[in-house]
Amino acid sequence: MASNKTGQKKKEKSKRRGASQWAVAWRRFKRNKAGIFGLIIVMAVFFVGIFGSFFAPYPARPDPHAYDPFYDIDPITGIGDVRKPPSWMDPEEPNSWKYLFGTTPIGTDVFSDIIHGTKYTVYVGVLVTVITMALSIAVGAIAGFYGRWVDNILMRISEVFLVFPSLLLILVFVRIFTVSVGEPFLNIPIINIQIPTGLTIVIVILGLFNWASNARMIRGEFLRVRELEFIEAERALGAGNIRIIFRHILPNLMSSIIVVSSLTIAYAILLEAAVSFLGFGDANTITWGQILQENFSEMRIVWWAEVFPGIAILLTVFGFNLLGDGLSDAMNPRLRD
Amino acid sequence: MFRYIVRRLLYMIPVFLGISIISFFVMYAAGDPLNIIRLGRPNITQETIDALKVYYGLDKPIPIQYLTWLTNLLQFNFGKSLYGGRPVNFLIGSWVWETVKLQLISILLAFAISIPIGINSAKKQYSKQDIAVTSISLFGVSMPTFWLGLILIIIFSFQLGWLPSAGAYGAPYLWWDNPVLDEIAHLILPVTVLVYVMLAQNIRLIRANMLEILRSDYILAARASGLSERKVVYKYALRNAIGPVITYLGISLGAIIAGAPMTEYVFNWPGLGRRYVDAAMRLDFPLVMGINMVITVMTLIATLIIDICYVYIDPRIRLR
Repeated sequence: MASNKTGQKKKEKSKRRGASQWAVAWRRFKRNKAGIFGLIIVMAVFFVGIFGSFFAPYPARPDPHAYDPFYDIDPITGIGDVRKPPSWMDPEEPNSWKYLFGTTPIGTDVFSDIIHGTKYTVYVGVLVTVITMALSIAVGAIAGFYGRWVDNILMRISEVFLVFPSLLLILVFVRIFTVSVGEPFLNIPIINIQIPTGLTIVIVILGLFNWASNARMIRGEFLRVRELEFIEAERALGAGNIRIIFRHILPNLMSSIIVVSSLTIAYAILLEAAVSFLGFGDANTITWGQILQENFSEMRIVWWAEVFPGIAILLTVFGFNLLGDGLSDAMNPRLRD
Repeated sequence: MFRYIVRRLLYMIPVFLGISIISFFVMYAAGDPLNIIRLGRPNITQETIDALKVYYGLDKPIPIQYLTWLTNLLQFNFGKSLYGGRPVNFLIGSWVWETVKLQLISILLAFAISIPIGINSAKKQYSKQDIAVTSISLFGVSMPTFWLGLILIIIFSFQLGWLPSAGAYGAPYLWWDNPVLDEIAHLILPVTVLVYVMLAQNIRLIRANMLEILRSDYILAARASGLSERKVVYKYALRNAIGPVITYLGISLGAIIAGAPMTEYVFNWPGLGRRYVDAAMRLDFPLVMGINMVITVMTLIATLIIDICYVYIDPRIRLR
């Protein structure tokens, strides 16, 4: 809890590197091999998500060229089995990179599908976490800071969300709100980005149902920090509630919030994959869960279309979990076992 | 003890009411329920619509409708499915058992396995075994439940052909030639999935708690007084380490049961979760609301049982 003022004073005196809270945490984080490994995975996922469409072998789904692996099979008759195993296992295609992870029953390339799905994974992870954290910080702050009956009511509500198997309600709500989606993509005119409508609805619903456990964590932290002496000092200096919450308590919780956000991203990606896999996702956006769902019924033959998207999910979530654990070790060393 | 149970029961009422309100308004989130009827019958007359409105009680104010629904619910009258028109409680009754069977076996097995592994891991902290266990369990937290099921099916059912890939029973002549063994054969894969997912969390928790407790003074005192290592660990340390794990189980039961649709969908298990996915897909509201409430009550009962177990393990709780 070294406050910024003492940090600055030290800096002025000795002219050494400013040992701010973040610099210390980064130094500690660098030594954690698992955390660095997680960071590398996460950075790779973001990289593929942003630039993936430039190096994917085949274009994304609505483009007819996405089905090119299908036309490759027999150019004369156009018939034949479109379900090709990964090319490195295929005796017909020795040492070929044509379809690294095999092709699906509709003739698309699994490898390209996974690359194009990455951006949706990033979108889901980040946006769900933003919504979840905004809600849980608001609820946690109000409950933890004001206490008494406000706290009581908010915590009872959060209990309802915790006790109830929320995936069940998420499924119904997702179905209700996506069943009549008009335009599959919304165009944002100035920055020229297409936003998938159905997926965004799924994201908002996931965010609305997942705030409870994070809110309880933040409330606990608020309760702890609220009683510390510097808050009392601040109050004696005449600071109002809003100022105390935003300028003094929240900055102190920043490290916990960052750690929890990283773990929430991991959880959100898993949850979206589950919703899509169960067939409730947006059919216009081919997320990793959607690939699993599409090929589920032909799993006996096209096992590669189930294995590789799953590995992509597993690695991404593993990366975010490692990053979260590493950040937690680096920022809250007293929590280490 | 009796008073404690009563207090816990009273405490559950607001949670139950809260969930029932959310479940009820799911139907209204979809808009006017009469539109669903209109959808299938484009030639329906206004008089019929009005008559149906009165028949279903939709002309009354929403709070009254909620109360009617709730009182019906408490009398085990869940209404009728929109598809086929069979009463919901009749439908649910045959599915509950399969889900309970699957979940109960998995939870018990997960505990039986995770306790010794967690303890051993804590006793030999940073040994090779410990590092293996902790990294495998972190992997387990990161794995999509349903995907593990898919992989197991691909390996053990499709490639090796050892175990059935779907359903809860059937084809006994294929699997081990006996109806009971057949049921066990069908249980193995889904139980493995559920246990693995629960193991990961349980081991992490037990290990963390044991580490803290094994360093405490009273364990040192117990060792100093010459008790056997076995007695120190299993009688004195475990009893304190298991508490948080049980608390965690109580909190996460909702999530565990929410995982049921995924596992049951993958293995085509004839349980509540599998049917829930179908019902939600078709927006069969009476069935969705009915299953919602049954699962809620199941979760609440399980939480109560866990709370009671907790009092036996840590008698200080009752005094608070």
